[in-house]
Amino acid sequence: MNAPAPLPLEARGLRKAFHGRPRVDDVSFSVRPGRVVGLLGPNGAGKTTTLRLLLGLVARDAGEALVLGRPYRELEHPARQVGAVLDAGGLHPARTGRQHLAVAAARAGVPAARVDAMLAKVGMTTDADRRAGGYSLGMRQRVAIAAALLGEPRLLVLDEPSNGLDPAGMHWLRGELRAFAADGGTVLLSSHLLADIQEIADDVVVIADGRVVAEATMADVLADPAAELEGWYLEVTGTEGVVR
Amino acid sequence: MLRAELLGLVTTTATKVAAAVAVLGLVLTQLVLVTLLPALARGDVGPGAEALGDDLPQVDLGSAAAQVDALSPLGATLGGGSIGLALLAIVLLGVLAGTSDDRHGGIVGAVLASPRRGRLVAGKAAAVGLVGAAVGVVLALVSLVTLVGSLAVSGIPVVTPAGSIAATSVRGVLAVACLAVLGLAVGILCRSQLAGVLVMIGVLVAEPVVAAVAQLLVGGAAATWTQFLPVALAQSVIHGGTADVPGAVAVAALVGLTAAAVAVAGVALSRRDV
Repeated sequence: MNAPAPLPLEARGLRKAFHGRPRVDDVSFSVRPGRVVGLLGPNGAGKTTTLRLLLGLVARDAGEALVLGRPYRELEHPARQVGAVLDAGGLHPARTGRQHLAVAAARAGVPAARVDAMLAKVGMTTDADRRAGGYSLGMRQRVAIAAALLGEPRLLVLDEPSNGLDPAGMHWLRGELRAFAADGGTVLLSSHLLADIQEIADDVVVIADGRVVAEATMADVLADPAAELEGWYLEVTGTEGVVR
Repeated sequence: MLRAELLGLVTTTATKVAAAVAVLGLVLTQLVLVTLLPALARGDVGPGAEALGDDLPQVDLGSAAAQVDALSPLGATLGGGSIGLALLAIVLLGVLAGTSDDRHGGIVGAVLASPRRGRLVAGKAAAVGLVGAAVGVVLALVSLVTLVGSLAVSGIPVVTPAGSIAATSVRGVLAVACLAVLGLAVGILCRSQLAGVLVMIGVLVAEPVVAAVAQLLVGGAAATWTQFLPVALAQSVIHGGTADVPGAVAVAALVGLTAAAVAVAGVALSRRDV
């Protein structure tokens, strides 16, 4: 009998404190295959730290972070299994978009020919040979998304990927993520754009003050025909009328 | 990993600028020490050796020792331990390579692609070592061409055997590569570009001061341990050793020091949140 396939992502009791102040406190949730999961929460709630803990970028104080059934650090060819967008991709201003992707392709161990395909996919072919120092935030974000897709991963971990994207870019990204999931891929997506999340996510996890305060399927959240994700989010985070 | 890091290095302006400054700095050093000073001594330019008196350093390019000294890819030293522009540019090439990822956020992509961070640092060290070696080859050629040209103009024969010229150049390339990798390790440890540059310059400037103080404290003789400081080691390697430190020991010590610095940088990156 075959063992069940591991979950794409699993956080078990994750804890992380910075300078003695807990930023992530006993965070547990899992992401099932083929799902788009929205990770929501107020500014400073611990979403980005949670993503970094999952990807092994930040050392956890306690708990366990599993990616495809094992700690990220133990994955073979991780860039071919997981694509990530964090910090708008960390583009060196002196490199062109094409050079950035060429370096990323070499790191991922994928053919350089994938670079042109990914540039075309994110609509950056025309600007590919300009230095990234002259890119807008949206253009940097497109290159970062292209880098995440280079290795044809089955799991995407995206932190505010639509930051700076123009309406056409955001429309493209929504379609791309839905198609990615329809093709069997899995997406964990941190965002403040609740309308986008409502449109594309299958599940939502809400973090506030470093803790998971709600976890639900989008179908459950929107069970009432009059319900909207925004109202549910404000209720579970207790932030309605609060300016943070 | 090596290919990616090499590609990353050669597509940044800092690497090209540092390499260009190293070559131009060496050209300037060699023009002054190997070409201008002998010309001043001969009276081809300036008032002549007698008029300049003690102000003119003695450079006898007719001796094998002076010719070997002039072959250094870090520039002729006239027996001193001064820090040349080429040396500074080489170590800063490494420092900038080590801090670039932190400064521009590329460290996240690098660590995601290579989560075993010790391997990542090893890949970076190999790439910087190769680029350092390539720059070292250019520097060795610059030194050789400058020396041969100056000797030809002066009518002085090349008395250094070809084997000795080749050995000095090869050892010089090794020293340049090690210095660049040392800079990389300092850069990774410091993270901040400014801090890395200042620490590296501080180390280079402090070395001759430390050596001089140590010499005074032990009564005028050079303390042997000061010959194991980075710049002194690099010079020892290039010139095949000193009276106190044989060439093979100098090579082993410089390579060992470089490897230790890279290992410490690897451990530091492995323990660090990025």
